[in-house]
Amino acid sequence: MIFDAILEPFAHAARVITDRLHNGSMARYLAIATLTILAAGYFAYGTGTHSPGTRTLTPIEPVPAVGWLLLVGSTAALFAYHRNRLLALVLVGVIGLMVSVGFVYLSAPDLALTQISVEVATVILLLLALNFLPKQSPVESSTGRRTRDGLIAAAAGIGIGALIYALMMRDFAFSPISEFHLANSKPGGGGTNVVNVILVDFRGYDTFGEIIVLGIAGLVIYALVEALLRGGPANDRLLAWVPDQKRAGDRHPLMLVVATRMILPIAIMVGAYIFLRGHNEPGGGFIAGLVVAIATVMQYMASGFGWAAARQRIDYHALIGWGVTIAGLCGVGSWFASRPFLSSNFGYFKLPFIEKFELATAAIFDVGVFLTVVGAVMLALASISRIAIRAGETVNAEPFDIQPDEVPASKGAR
Amino acid sequence: MEFLVASAVGMMTACGIYLILRKRTFPVIVGLAMLTYAVNVFIFASGRLTIGLPPIITHNPEGYTDPLTQALVLTAIVISFGMTAVIVMMALGSFLETGDDNIGMEEDRETPAKPQEGAE
Repeated sequence: MIFDAILEPFAHAARVITDRLHNGSMARYLAIATLTILAAGYFAYGTGTHSPGTRTLTPIEPVPAVGWLLLVGSTAALFAYHRNRLLALVLVGVIGLMVSVGFVYLSAPDLALTQISVEVATVILLLLALNFLPKQSPVESSTGRRTRDGLIAAAAGIGIGALIYALMMRDFAFSPISEFHLANSKPGGGGTNVVNVILVDFRGYDTFGEIIVLGIAGLVIYALVEALLRGGPANDRLLAWVPDQKRAGDRHPLMLVVATRMILPIAIMVGAYIFLRGHNEPGGGFIAGLVVAIATVMQYMASGFGWAAARQRIDYHALIGWGVTIAGLCGVGSWFASRPFLSSNFGYFKLPFIEKFELATAAIFDVGVFLTVVGAVMLALASISRIAIRAGETVNAEPFDIQPDEVPASKGAR
Repeated sequence: MEFLVASAVGMMTACGIYLILRKRTFPVIVGLAMLTYAVNVFIFASGRLTIGLPPIITHNPEGYTDPLTQALVLTAIVISFGMTAVIVMMALGSFLETGDDNIGMEEDRETPAKPQEGAE
């Protein structure tokens, strides 16, 4: 009796608190998490000590200032117009572009190349998804709630902005490991692009894990689509799908079809070039993989899913598998030289008529990265496209809507 | 320049947080994408800003920018694409299964805030 009497109020209080906090609304959880992080950060700021900023400000040139204006302007516009989803997507594209331009200005060419190619893939992905999602977000929250969310967001933004500003104005407290990387990149890793050498050599194990994650993400998307297209409410809904937007009359415009096919070999060549120079100049497996994947996606977009799928010789699953396997075997290979997993080696070779060139085992690892990136990106985008086919989107058996080689029989077929 | 980068990071974070507090899947996805940009630029900027000194070893260097944060962010960008693709697929799947793109659970939907007429 006494035990119950003591316990009951606690149980009741616990239930009240849990029901209040845990009402199944994701927005509420996220708001609570944001506020908690903010409070912890503010507490740390209030109780900790910090030295004054000693670094001098980098000067602001007019052109970067215009870039900043575009970035901040589109972010503000996204805040205001996020209900119009297509417009939101355009604004995200502008923001991504400005971020990548910012990277190239702030001495990060590799990041800029990666960001801009990921940007293309992300926008294509979101467009494919938006084809099925509603094009507008309804106004659901009350003004009070929107104000509250706005205040939380503003507090978080000011906090993060102040934190990074304070960080950038101070020197490193300890000497960073980057100096080791810069000093050992050429003598130890054999490459002059330090970022790429870190990726495929110094931190190769980390990259190995990351390509596995990327491969898993691609396979998860494939599995999700498979599950959706099996009989069930989603499948029924797709079979009864009525497009809510007007369709373009000419789905595969002749100009686009011809242009993308002409560009494909050039794009593959650019991909190979970016891959090969990656060890010494901006580039590498990640960027080359993205470039090749986008060039391939362009074929799907221009010529249609059916046409492209009929000419696809390599399974994307296999690409992911081979990528991870090659990267893993490259790591295992170093055991035979009695060195730790994923150690790399390099040497300089001379062939007649061309300059002395360098070959590194890290390049084999980079091939693995390349294959996984191509496989995962293609599998993700191609899987989402399959939903459209189930929704009754017809597939062109022929590459063009208009057949340029269809000549009247009297003149004789080709 | 530091001020511009810091304010841009703050602005993108604020926009991302605001959007992930919405009730529909698409704004939440866009909000997560905005947070990805903010976090990537944050990590990149924690290597301090330098202009015109890419970490490519040359013969006559004036020094280089910090390569490590760049390597970390490079993989983060690619991984975040994979993660975005997964949540997009999950959002699409839930919309097709239920005919609704609300992210809350059932209890949350029973008491939706009243949409206000004429409100933005």
